[in-house]
Amino acid sequence: MITLAVFLVFAVLAVAAGVLVVVQKNVMHSVLYLAFTVLATAGVFFTLGAEYLGAIQILVYGGGIVVLYIFVIIIVNLKEIVPERRRFLPKLFLVAVPVAAGVEVAYLLLAKGFPAAGRPGEGLGFKTTAEMLFGSYLFPFELASILLLAVLVGAIVVARRTLVHDPD
Amino acid sequence: MIPIEAVIVLGLLLFAIGFVGVVVRKNLVVMLMSLELLLNGANIILVGLGRRLASPRGSIFALFVVLMAVSEAAVGFALVLAYFRQKKSYDVDALDDLKG
Repeated sequence: MITLAVFLVFAVLAVAAGVLVVVQKNVMHSVLYLAFTVLATAGVFFTLGAEYLGAIQILVYGGGIVVLYIFVIIIVNLKEIVPERRRFLPKLFLVAVPVAAGVEVAYLLLAKGFPAAGRPGEGLGFKTTAEMLFGSYLFPFELASILLLAVLVGAIVVARRTLVHDPD
Repeated sequence: MIPIEAVIVLGLLLFAIGFVGVVVRKNLVVMLMSLELLLNGANIILVGLGRRLASPRGSIFALFVVLMAVSEAAVGFALVLAYFRQKKSYDVDALDDLKG
């Protein structure tokens, strides 16, 4: 029941932020809403029991792709990013939400104490996933690593500023 | 217990939003971001179905989709940079050099 509630919260957040990604005029705002969507999606993955994928989502999307987007926007068009003034109500909201979240965490820790360190057999999902990934899906996995290598080289070649003179 | 219908509706909604973004927006960077939304929607459906079938295959396929999304973002950004160097803009309307 509580899982369903958490799932619905993350689902609504993901969809709302996704709409905002598309409708925002300022590209930088779009990127921030994209980060919001990505993290909410990670929450959805956690509620669905795919913890590994949720962690990958936070690390790869939240830590990698979103930062890449921000860098590209800064490189491509610095002038569009203007400092903005906030009205009072959004400012209040921006302060109130982290404060409320912190109070909630503190309350939970004080009321319930730290949770026990996991029941035996809890890591079974990881074990079956890893066995299947490195068993049946070993070949696609290696292909994916070749793809990433090709992308690394290709991105450098495409984005290079000038063609290096090649005597051959 | 999360019903599978809710998961699929969420995935489809994200997919639809991303699709609208790719079709409607003319900014290359926002189009790439909408592509990420689209792939996220597909991932949610994959994970939900994997859980429904009690199989780790859903997570594994979604992992491959994430890898593909990373590759697409890297190459896409290289193209955006090269394009911007040529055109000084990232509006796809400027991309009409091949027009007959």
